[in-house]
Amino acid sequence: MPHWTPELLSPAGSLEKLKVSVLYGANAVYLGGQKFGLRQAADNFTYEELSEGVEFAHSRNAKVYVVLNSFLHDNDLVELPEFLYLLEELKVDAVIVSDLGVISTIKKHSNLVIHLSTQASCLNIESAKLWKNLGATRIVLGREVTIKEASLIKKATGLEIEMFVHGSMCMAFSGNCVISNYTQGRDSNRGGCAHSCRFEYSINFNDDKNDKGHDVEKRAAQKAYFMSSKDLEGIRLLPEFIEAEIDSLKVEGRNKSHHYAGTISKVYSDALRFYKEHGHFLSSDMLNWEEELRKVSHRDYTTGSLDHYAESDSIYNQREHDDNEYVVSGIVLEAIPEEHLLVDVKSAFHPKDILEVMRFSGATKKCEVQFLKSLSGVSLERSKPGTVVKIPYIEGAEKFNIIRRAIKQ
Amino acid sequence: MSNSKKIMVTHVESMDQFSLLRDHALDYKNTELEVIVGCLELSRYTNTKKEDLLKLIHHISKEQISVVLEWDGLYQEDKFIQAAAVVDSLPLHEISAIRVQDPGAVEYIKNKYPWLKIQLVLENGNHNLAGLMKWSEYLGEQCSRLILSNELSKEKLKEYASVLKAPLEILLFGRILLFYSPRLLLSPLEKDKLKKSWITASGSSEESPHSGFPLIENRHGTFMFNVKDLSLLDHLEEISQLGIAHTRVDLRFDESFNRYIKDLFELFSGKKTEADFQLKINHPRPVIKGFYNVNKTDVLFTKLKNSRTQRQDDFYLGEIVDVERNQQLALLIKTNALSENLEIVQEIKMVTPEGKIKIMILPWIKSTLGLPLLQASKNDLVLIPYTNGVTVKTQVYINKSVK
Repeated sequence: MPHWTPELLSPAGSLEKLKVSVLYGANAVYLGGQKFGLRQAADNFTYEELSEGVEFAHSRNAKVYVVLNSFLHDNDLVELPEFLYLLEELKVDAVIVSDLGVISTIKKHSNLVIHLSTQASCLNIESAKLWKNLGATRIVLGREVTIKEASLIKKATGLEIEMFVHGSMCMAFSGNCVISNYTQGRDSNRGGCAHSCRFEYSINFNDDKNDKGHDVEKRAAQKAYFMSSKDLEGIRLLPEFIEAEIDSLKVEGRNKSHHYAGTISKVYSDALRFYKEHGHFLSSDMLNWEEELRKVSHRDYTTGSLDHYAESDSIYNQREHDDNEYVVSGIVLEAIPEEHLLVDVKSAFHPKDILEVMRFSGATKKCEVQFLKSLSGVSLERSKPGTVVKIPYIEGAEKFNIIRRAIKQ
Repeated sequence: MSNSKKIMVTHVESMDQFSLLRDHALDYKNTELEVIVGCLELSRYTNTKKEDLLKLIHHISKEQISVVLEWDGLYQEDKFIQAAAVVDSLPLHEISAIRVQDPGAVEYIKNKYPWLKIQLVLENGNHNLAGLMKWSEYLGEQCSRLILSNELSKEKLKEYASVLKAPLEILLFGRILLFYSPRLLLSPLEKDKLKKSWITASGSSEESPHSGFPLIENRHGTFMFNVKDLSLLDHLEEISQLGIAHTRVDLRFDESFNRYIKDLFELFSGKKTEADFQLKINHPRPVIKGFYNVNKTDVLFTKLKNSRTQRQDDFYLGEIVDVERNQQLALLIKTNALSENLEIVQEIKMVTPEGKIKIMILPWIKSTLGLPLLQASKNDLVLIPYTNGVTVKTQVYINKSVK
């Protein structure tokens, strides 16, 4: 008998990424329309894309949650009811909300299922009870909550509980940062976050007595990325999530790449599938899974507050930089057995390079680029990002497979 | 001076401060006053110990001055239990109300102390009437005040004051909180690593146009404030006429209490104006009016992405994903618009990322193997004739005028 596992909820920053996440194993995806979400810079979904996305996900037994988690102003709310009707018509599985005005509007105009966004910073049992009274059926807990506390919240309220398992983290309590509002004129809680927490700051500690009367010693200014958080990685804590019966494990990253969406979905779904079959995670693949998670662009990893409240080792005190071992070469657009693969090129590669095809299940497949041609058949010495090229067919490769390349070959 | 009601709300952290406040209150009897008190375990920035809080509550309530307990921290479950135990141990019958922000604290007070008035801090978000009304409705008779966000314009404040039954409050003067993290972010930079209960600093970044953000780390975490403080002192009369009687002056930082408290009584009595405060000389930071006049923090959103590379759904066909100069364009079909006979679609319109529009009569489409096609389905990649000026990410539509 299969063992119970939580839902794996992956980001879908675009229709293509939705397909990638689902095909690589996500049980559910979350996405945003053109308004009302927190990723104004992401592609997001038009109505037609949303319709296609829901159809695609549902046909593969994956759920679709739509984010409406901005802190909306009155004029934003005017257009919301019409969008709610569309979402009901499309049969999306839930909406993710943080603002009580939005909840109130949803309840007035629809029967949509309401999940409380992490943006509402629900951190304790009493808070969860309040949001339950106000209509939420699932709580996406604040990232400051431990798995043990989450378990208590679930038991005390009977609510579905969702927790972040992987991805970037706000350093502030979510929804409690308005740096962009005052410094950039962009409302961070309506999708305009300028990521000021990732900046380097020069810190001057106050001299003599501080404004509370405490003695403070004089120190030289220190430069630090003191507000930047490391990225969350919870793969080693999957047993704790399962024991706590956390309903859904969420992967952050609607603004991130296809490679990210595919890799993270694949690793966590492979791990959860293993558990489902065996009832434990004592797999020789555990090291491989961790290694795979290091192949996507990421800051240093931390378990954040999952096992204990985040401490100083959770601070990413360095400049944002890429030191990836792997780079995405492209996405398969068309696979014609015996003929070719058409690859939407994301980064340059050359004939004779060794590429890896990330298949939807099972191990990656390595292959050498024996030929590299344009669509009209002209041989190329180098693929250019933003073009489509032909390479030899690789057995098992399918549309939407991610093709990557080790940087040091 | 107008008759509209003006109630000064301010924090008191010690008996010395209270004595000073009481003396001024006696001098300015026409100024209504409300005092907020808190303690280390409950309030984000207050330095008051619990035993001192007990004294303050006792003395202030004895003077017939409205005293409000502040419980504005945000708490994970373990910490919440500890904070709630502190609240339980206080003489709540001596206070006029409790001021809370964490929804957990709201629920706790609502259920455990249904007789206790709640002042709900909604300064974070809560920028719509529907939400404010719902909060008010949820708390019912217990709701004695809604503390509104600094990001609301006066136009909105006026509208809300005319509709909401609960009394409203806004910050009139004080620091603007930008960032609240439960993590201790300053102490890791301490060389001696000695644990300090309270650290203050300022932060500047070359990547930000502003410098000198005040910072505090204490048991609640780390707080960063704006480089400019809020001052709506000039607008006190106007705010009261909007229907907002309670305005808060937050004097907990920069020794502001001693510096400004007398002047504030005079301001509330109509005897002084903001100019008399000489903030440019006396205040350690510049002051701003924030979003009081207007809030346009969403106008830049349209610039965050190129709308021309985003598809419009009507008559949409797909996107150009490859261009081979003088050869062909590769079109990724994203809808079913071409699934019928090609002859139906005589003209297509291509909108490039730069906004150029190219109209083309489609003489043929081909598969990627070069075979002629009469139709194509969603998700197919097809070749169409090359058109000068068309680049990757060009969005392709059936020309509406032809359809």
